[in-house]
Amino acid sequence: MEKIAIIGGGIAGMEAARRLLQLGHEPVIVEKSDHLGGHVAGWYKLFPDMMSARELVEQLAAGLDGVTVYYRTRVANMNRLGSGYSVMLSNGVNLQCGAVLISTGFRLFDASRKEEYGYGVYDHVVTNSDLEAWLGGAPDYRIPDNPASVAFVHCVGSRDLKAGNPQCSKVCCMTAIKQAIEMKEKFPQADIWCFYMDLRLFGKKYEDFYIAAQRDHGIHFVRGRVSEVSEDIDGRVVLKAEDTLAGTPVKLSADLLVLMSGMLCNEDTQSLARMVRADVDSDGFMRSRDNIYRINESNRPGIFFAGACTGTKTVPETVGEARAAALDIHNYLSGND
Amino acid sequence: MKERFAIGFDPFVLPFLVGMVFVLGYCLFGLFRILWQLPREDRRKFLLSLITPATALKNIWDIFCNCLLHVKLWKRNKMLGFMHSSIAFGWFMLILLGHLEVFIYCPERVHLFYYPIFFNYFVANNESTIGGAVLFFLMDFFLLLVLSGIALAMIKRVRSRLFGMRRTTRPSMLDRIGLYSLWAIFPLRLLAESFTAHISGGSFLTIPANWVFRQFLGNDLNLLPTWWAYSIALGIFMVVLPFTRYMHIPAEMMLIPMRNAGLRIRHPRKGFAKMQVLSCPGCGVCIDACPMSVQKVNIKDCTVYLNRQIRRGNEKRIEEISDKCLLCGKCEAVCQVGVEGPKMRVAQRSVRRYGLTPDFAAIDTAPLVQAAAAQVSKAAAGPKVLYFSGCMTRLTPSIGKAVTSLLGKAGVEFTWMDREEGLCCGRPLLTAGRIDAALALIRKNQEIILGSGASVLLVSCPICYKIFTERYSLPGVRVVNYADFFAELLEQGRLKLEKSDICYVYHDPCELGRGCGIYETPRKLIGQAAGIAEAEKNRAESICCGGSLGSLTLDFAHREVMTRKALDNLYGSRADAIATACPLCLSTFRRYSDRPVRDLAEVLDASTVSSFQP
Amino acid sequence: MIDFGFGLSRSSSVKLDEVDLGLYHKLEALEPGVRVCMSCGSCTSTCTAGPWSGMSVRKLILNLQRGKDVEKMLSCCMLCGKCTMVCPRGINTRHLILSLCRIYGKKQ
Repeated sequence: MEKIAIIGGGIAGMEAARRLLQLGHEPVIVEKSDHLGGHVAGWYKLFPDMMSARELVEQLAAGLDGVTVYYRTRVANMNRLGSGYSVMLSNGVNLQCGAVLISTGFRLFDASRKEEYGYGVYDHVVTNSDLEAWLGGAPDYRIPDNPASVAFVHCVGSRDLKAGNPQCSKVCCMTAIKQAIEMKEKFPQADIWCFYMDLRLFGKKYEDFYIAAQRDHGIHFVRGRVSEVSEDIDGRVVLKAEDTLAGTPVKLSADLLVLMSGMLCNEDTQSLARMVRADVDSDGFMRSRDNIYRINESNRPGIFFAGACTGTKTVPETVGEARAAALDIHNYLSGND
Repeated sequence: MKERFAIGFDPFVLPFLVGMVFVLGYCLFGLFRILWQLPREDRRKFLLSLITPATALKNIWDIFCNCLLHVKLWKRNKMLGFMHSSIAFGWFMLILLGHLEVFIYCPERVHLFYYPIFFNYFVANNESTIGGAVLFFLMDFFLLLVLSGIALAMIKRVRSRLFGMRRTTRPSMLDRIGLYSLWAIFPLRLLAESFTAHISGGSFLTIPANWVFRQFLGNDLNLLPTWWAYSIALGIFMVVLPFTRYMHIPAEMMLIPMRNAGLRIRHPRKGFAKMQVLSCPGCGVCIDACPMSVQKVNIKDCTVYLNRQIRRGNEKRIEEISDKCLLCGKCEAVCQVGVEGPKMRVAQRSVRRYGLTPDFAAIDTAPLVQAAAAQVSKAAAGPKVLYFSGCMTRLTPSIGKAVTSLLGKAGVEFTWMDREEGLCCGRPLLTAGRIDAALALIRKNQEIILGSGASVLLVSCPICYKIFTERYSLPGVRVVNYADFFAELLEQGRLKLEKSDICYVYHDPCELGRGCGIYETPRKLIGQAAGIAEAEKNRAESICCGGSLGSLTLDFAHREVMTRKALDNLYGSRADAIATACPLCLSTFRRYSDRPVRDLAEVLDASTVSSFQP
Repeated sequence: MIDFGFGLSRSSSVKLDEVDLGLYHKLEALEPGVRVCMSCGSCTSTCTAGPWSGMSVRKLILNLQRGKDVEKMLSCCMLCGKCTMVCPRGINTRHLILSLCRIYGKKQ
């Protein structure tokens, strides 16, 4: 039985570990935080089925009986050793592994870097992740008790050269619509506005959400990117954008502004890539052998990828990739490649 | 001392004579042309300044310090200072002493140009005068000084890094000819004087050399050819001088009086601008200073190359160089002769032809005046403060929020002039060379400010502040930068600071530091509010953040490299956070910085402890 | 003539294959950044001159791409640079505007 180091205990790492265990291997999860499930553990509901995120994480965790998990641990160093890898952990443990799965995931764009939106400056500005946590029950003083209007700004730190990320983060459009509907359900009297550049609703049932948002919830969509946000004397946020379809500049006073922060490559990914001389792509994420057929494979033997470390992914894509990676690793270790 | 030749002439002086007459004629002609090109009032001002005793004395003093002793260069770099002043001052003394010798020993030859230069050839020493020994000693001493400078110059050509210069200019063909003839002059003089020393006398350098040479050179046949060579080297140097960078020697001597007379660039190529171009010694100090030179593609866009292209009349390159510059002003700050790189560029931009000119007549200021006046009049006793935050501050709301909070804590009632809608201050148009449009915009803003009835105009953006102080006419209104304003509030006890344990490194914004000369007030304020550290390059040598509106053509990707370079300089101080006092620097640094970047107002606001109780 | 209550007027639709893109191509040569505009409207909404002149860099680029004249829109631009600051595609809008003003200068 050979050990497999799984770096990152998010949903990708958990699912891969579960499958590798089933295939008779010995996966070891190295997790930098004190819990499994990564970003998803902090979320409320998952589109398109509005499944509880907590439930998914619990389900995945249930399959990890017998898997060693190191919490609050990072990879200190990693070297090729024989046909496998020697992985030194920050807690002093040294793992001899037949293969390594990198499932380090993503990091959320720090919305305060787009200062013109006033995150951290104005009182009533939150991010998609803040809102998700609040929906899940965490208190947030920035969210007013009974907002008359809520504005969602898409593409915060995505498709934005100035924010250092020219790529689309793919999931924020759908997240915004999901959260807009959730807010409307919580505050039926409120006007909900979505400011978008392009609506990219590509997945199964996503368009249904869009239609429902328009038809059943009366959510307003404005095609225009918000350029600046100020605060009026009452502490409401005032957004300035252009309604590009009507061709007129518009202003909106809102009680709450939700910024759809994009997904960036995790900082740790770069240093991990250097340790094993794996390639990093131009977008900062890990480079797969190709982006069509071998997304799980790196350019180094025995180093595999799963989930958002190679690019932005939805939850189902991540879970599916983790399963595929587990199979890839199994085949690699049994020599049937 | 007695003369060797009754006619006092030898054909070998001809090359020197030709060069001398040519260079003098050329320079005088050029000077008259430049004077002619000056606008009438400037010419009057300049000529008057020459006969005003105070400025005349200052001119002489400045020329002595800068052209001969290179005091500014000494302060910057001892090696370069010694190299330049040894050549310039040494040569000057050789010429002066040469004249002195002629004056003392053969006064009837004083009118001959060449006599002081080739004195040792024309006279024979009879060892009668002790004065001669002193003079000869001095001549040898200064020759040695010059030779040491030349030796350093040769080393510098090969290894400029030894002199602390990472990059120097690539000399053109003519520059090389000038350079090599200049290098040749003094060793040849040493040879010529050494060969002649047993006839004309010499001192500690030439007499021993003469003794050595005479050990294996039995006759004086080699005497005349060396004097010929010396004269030819001088002749070549002087003939090529007007077409090389060595033109800066005569030009700088005229630039200094012109600057002291208070002249300004009025035409991009003529008059004062021309004098600046000619005064550029092509030393290349501006290359290392230029924030753009972190990228190799931009090296040829530094001020030294602008001057070179203007001399060559290469319009395409002149345009590229002028449009690319960030106008950060660092080249001007480090320039030894005071070439005003940014102003030169704005002047080039200002003559460009555009088919469309902005027209601000449609802008009705009446509602803005009314809105401002209504609120200003509500303010209680005391100065009526109007706050102008500027366009950029809308994209950095933390500044406006902190200023509001600080003024609130100090109990200062104020009106925010451009909170909702406002006009641009006009500086971006001005720096783009669209001067008439800028002036039109300035008039619009003046209407609003004067119409509001305010007595204090508080400005937080240094870009706006610079144009408010330089170009606006606001009688009865005191324009004040927020740093100065907060310093006053602190002195009056209306703000109280408690030192936090964060350590900031202060970045001098180009417009506030080099632009307005405000370096110390922000430091003093930050020092009272928190810890303060200094970056290696600071104050007048602070590195532009790369976000400057001065550049018209630099694109985003190129600017990023500059920003990272400027950040590296700040990181070097090991401070926890970066503080600055300009919205543009703030947003540019925030984009890439790995540590917090705060505006001066934010730093102060975070450390203000007590609120003002009236 | 019988009045039908409606008249035949020239169609307002733009024939994309027939428009004259001379101006746009000239601008492209001077400022290639113009090609990457994705019409997000950030420039328009942040514009200092917008409230007075209807200035909109987005419309300007789009009109040029459709072969329309844009002379009027430029009249109030203050070159303040906010549009350059907010552009997510990093277009040097100030240079774009200045280049356009120069092209108009050469046309006359």
